[in-house]
Amino acid sequence: MTDVLAEAIDAGRVFGTNGSRVVALQHATCTIERGDRIALVGPSGSGKSTLLHLLAALDEPTSGIVRWPALGEQDTLRPSKISFVFQTESLLAPLTVLENIEVPRLLGGSTADEARNDASEILDALDLGALADKLPEEISGGQAQRAAVARSLITRPALILADEPTGQLDHRTAKNLLDLLFRRLKGTDAALVIATHDPVVAGRMNTQWTMEHGVLR
Amino acid sequence: MKAITTWLSGLVRRRYGRMLPAVLGVSLTIALLAILGIFINASAATMTLRALGDVPVDWQIEVVPGADVAAVEEQLNKSARVRTVDPVGYADVSGFTAKSGGNTLGGTTQTTGEGKVLGVTPTYWKDFPALLRPMLGTTDGILIAQQTAANLHVSVGDTITITRIGLPPVTVRIDGVIDLPQADALFQAVGVPAGAAPQAPPDNVLVVPMAVWHQWFDQQAVVRRGTVRTQLHVRLDHTLPPDPRDAYVYVQQLANNFEARVAGSAMVGDNLAARLDAVREDALYARVLFLFLGLPGAILAIILTFAVSATGGDRRRREQALLRVRGATTSMILRLESLEASVVSIAAVIIALIITLLIVSQMVTIPLATRQTVGVLVIALLIGIGTALAAVIIPAWREARESSVRAGRARVGRGEAPFWERTWIDLIMLAIAGLVYWRTAAAGYQIVLAPEGVAATSVSYGSFLAPLALWIGVGLLVTRIFRHSLAGGRAFVAILFRPLAGALSPIVAASVSRQARLITRGVVLVTLAFSFAVSTAVFNTTYNVQSRVDAALTNGSDVTVTGTTAYPAGQLLDSISKVPGVRAARAMIHRYAYVGNDLQDIYGINALNIGDAADLSNAFFANNDAQGTMQKLAARPDGALLSQETVNDFQLKLGDVINLRLQNAKDHQYHAVQFHFIGVVREFSTAPKDSFILANDGYIASQTGDTAREVVLIRGNVSPAQLAKSVEPIAATLPGARVTDLGSVLKTISSSLTAVDLHGLTWIELSFAILLIAGASGLVLGLGLIERRRDFALLAAMGAKGRQLGSFLWTEGLIILVAGMVLGFLTGFGIAKMLVKVLTGVFDPAPQSLAIPWAYLVVLIFAGVLSTVLAVIIAQRVTQRRAIEALRTI
Repeated sequence: MTDVLAEAIDAGRVFGTNGSRVVALQHATCTIERGDRIALVGPSGSGKSTLLHLLAALDEPTSGIVRWPALGEQDTLRPSKISFVFQTESLLAPLTVLENIEVPRLLGGSTADEARNDASEILDALDLGALADKLPEEISGGQAQRAAVARSLITRPALILADEPTGQLDHRTAKNLLDLLFRRLKGTDAALVIATHDPVVAGRMNTQWTMEHGVLR
Repeated sequence: MKAITTWLSGLVRRRYGRMLPAVLGVSLTIALLAILGIFINASAATMTLRALGDVPVDWQIEVVPGADVAAVEEQLNKSARVRTVDPVGYADVSGFTAKSGGNTLGGTTQTTGEGKVLGVTPTYWKDFPALLRPMLGTTDGILIAQQTAANLHVSVGDTITITRIGLPPVTVRIDGVIDLPQADALFQAVGVPAGAAPQAPPDNVLVVPMAVWHQWFDQQAVVRRGTVRTQLHVRLDHTLPPDPRDAYVYVQQLANNFEARVAGSAMVGDNLAARLDAVREDALYARVLFLFLGLPGAILAIILTFAVSATGGDRRRREQALLRVRGATTSMILRLESLEASVVSIAAVIIALIITLLIVSQMVTIPLATRQTVGVLVIALLIGIGTALAAVIIPAWREARESSVRAGRARVGRGEAPFWERTWIDLIMLAIAGLVYWRTAAAGYQIVLAPEGVAATSVSYGSFLAPLALWIGVGLLVTRIFRHSLAGGRAFVAILFRPLAGALSPIVAASVSRQARLITRGVVLVTLAFSFAVSTAVFNTTYNVQSRVDAALTNGSDVTVTGTTAYPAGQLLDSISKVPGVRAARAMIHRYAYVGNDLQDIYGINALNIGDAADLSNAFFANNDAQGTMQKLAARPDGALLSQETVNDFQLKLGDVINLRLQNAKDHQYHAVQFHFIGVVREFSTAPKDSFILANDGYIASQTGDTAREVVLIRGNVSPAQLAKSVEPIAATLPGARVTDLGSVLKTISSSLTAVDLHGLTWIELSFAILLIAGASGLVLGLGLIERRRDFALLAAMGAKGRQLGSFLWTEGLIILVAGMVLGFLTGFGIAKMLVKVLTGVFDPAPQSLAIPWAYLVVLIFAGVLSTVLAVIIAQRVTQRRAIEALRTI
């Protein structure tokens, strides 16, 4: 059994057509294995989000290959095997925090009771129980991001990809969020890839990948 | 300036998807209002034109004996634009006698009662062709009316003697036989007070050249002054105001002016004003009808435009927030937003004008009055542009006043109930609808008043409140019920949509309940759109069915052959019955009888078989039992069915004996005949609307000594037009016989609104209604879903498969479509019922039940389902295909 959760081989992504062609990523080759803690760093517009989208199967490369040897076919990856944390607020507006966290389990085929129990358990574990019945518009940005992290963890995915999850948070809230994430992943072989500008965040990861002008170094 | 051009360019290049539906909504509003206004004007002008065409002589000016005819004519030319004027001499005579000159009764003498001799100029035939119709012989000698010829048993070449008053008789040779199709107008009493009972035209009439008439009667005018008169028959220039009401007032003022000029030496018999007077009420009803049926469509288009504009609220909030962050002031933001409104307005005006031009050029066949048309267009454009500005700028202004971006973001909401809900305005509106309806009903549904002879007219526009308040009340009540039901009925929604959403159903239900406001808006729009379409379609279908009933009543049957007393069509019954395509042919008597001093039409029928050829609806009889009434009549030979008006006027009770005066064949005088009043009849084939009598044909024949049956009603197995063609050669053998068929009568009922362009309006309204339904169910739903594509994109990013994503979209779509459709149908039928009642005056006769246009209703359902399916599928595809793009850009 292979430990390679995801790999990109010479992957590239070009947006637009001839007139307004933007090369967001070129010749990216990388591998993510079980238990990896990877920081993807680089300036804005360097292609970090594009690479994460490809690795999360949210987008497809225009050249090269992206594959998931240990996880299976592309259309079976989300929500159970890969989860994604967005930089901006990503909770579903009409659902409460608890319902938002249930959604990936329900999409994965769990029953309503199973999803409700797991969501409650993870909310309590992450000290978010008080927010359970709040709507996204009734909580702060930091609380919303913590809820989004909780949602990414509920399916116990093998790979979590987070796109600057602390980008809009102050240092203290960002630290709490990462603490929460690391605490939850402790003892599991789930891999975590975080795109970030923050050297403190990057410093807590085992490996650093650097992106510049669409090239992974 | 740079900011404005950049914003404008960005709007056109990137926000066309948001602006296009608004453009469509505004252009529909403008086009519907413009077409409606133009149709109202065109229908009024059409009515005026038709009324003018129906009048045989515009004015009959009776010159007072002894007055100077030439001077009167001179004053006439000064007071009005006259196209033609012909003097006509009227001389009373004691009677006519035919001595053994008759072709059939050699040696005997036939004498008539009093009669009249008319003198006409050679140009009269050309100038007033509707008054005299040649039947036999020439048109330029001594002409005898066919009724008189029948009374005297004479024809062309025979000799008759005219018994003058106070002078020796004159003997003349008959050169021709003529018909007097407009005898009522020709012999009307000029100068009698309005409302006086019309006098019966004379039975005995001779028409002679003017020179001969002067030769015979100038002397009589001297010896018996009051027995000889001269009339000027006038055709006016028909350049009149297009609206019958204005034309009526104008013509009446011309007549007043003339009478003032001649200072008592002449009086005007104003046939033109009388005809316009009769049409005024129809014109007002036409206006009311157009407004009742058309305005809701325009209001709905405005609501739709606002709803479409509201779906862009989230995007607008973000744009405004960004503008504010970059230092834009509220006035700057509003200026930029007004640019969007201007672009929408300009595009909508162009599209609306093209639509209006295309439709009007196809459907309005008469020349339009420039002033009125421009007025209508200006009003429509102002309302349309106002709608565009309000739909874009009001939400923008409201957003700009929000205290924070975050507060403005709240769209899911657990906010408090709106003002109207707290103050129960929905129930108040429904109560108002009931109250106004009750008041209109209490007033006998008389919403249009145009009293005969009175210049002023009135329309009870307050009656509009009933359907309008019902529409608004239902809209608000649906909003209240749905908002609360969806918000509080999550468990029910979850159970209902479990087959569709599976394990996701609790989440889908939660999403639905928290977006109750948005979903309710969709339900209300679809409800209003369906109710408009259904009420309009049902009303129009009922109206068309009643028009056919009206035409059937006017014509009597599929085809009707009308003869005269001298040449009754009943003679042809056997021949007509053998014509291929004839299913049943029945003859009936049509004569006149005096009820007191009131001359009424009397119809003699075979009560047991007249129903084979004539429509006999239960509604035609006061007891609502056509068959029972006919059996009752057949069982009582001297029975008579009278109109309600007669029963009221003469205080009659069932079983009363009544004496009617009918003309006897032996002496041509009216004699009393005894009848028994056995029932009330409201309508009957070929009978007039107001008063008439229905009796047994055998009894009338035996009492009058005349078995002639003047009318033959024919029911066919083929089309009425085809049947009429087959019958015409047979009818041609009978002098004076006329053949009319249902189709041609339907086209030419001049006193009815069927003559108006309602058909065109119906077509336009029903087409617009389908567009509005597509807009309400598809466009608003689709735009609402696309507006929230971030949520759906997040679901897709979390791994929602197509079916799972679809369960969210389909649940919303189905709730909006099914609830809106069901409520819309119920409301639509309710409003149609109310419209039919409130507009009772439009119908003749009133319908017994609503006519349902099933095919159109199926098309409506299909349009609603199709647009919903398309909206959901497109939203689903957009969301799935561009999930990451949506998350990046929204």
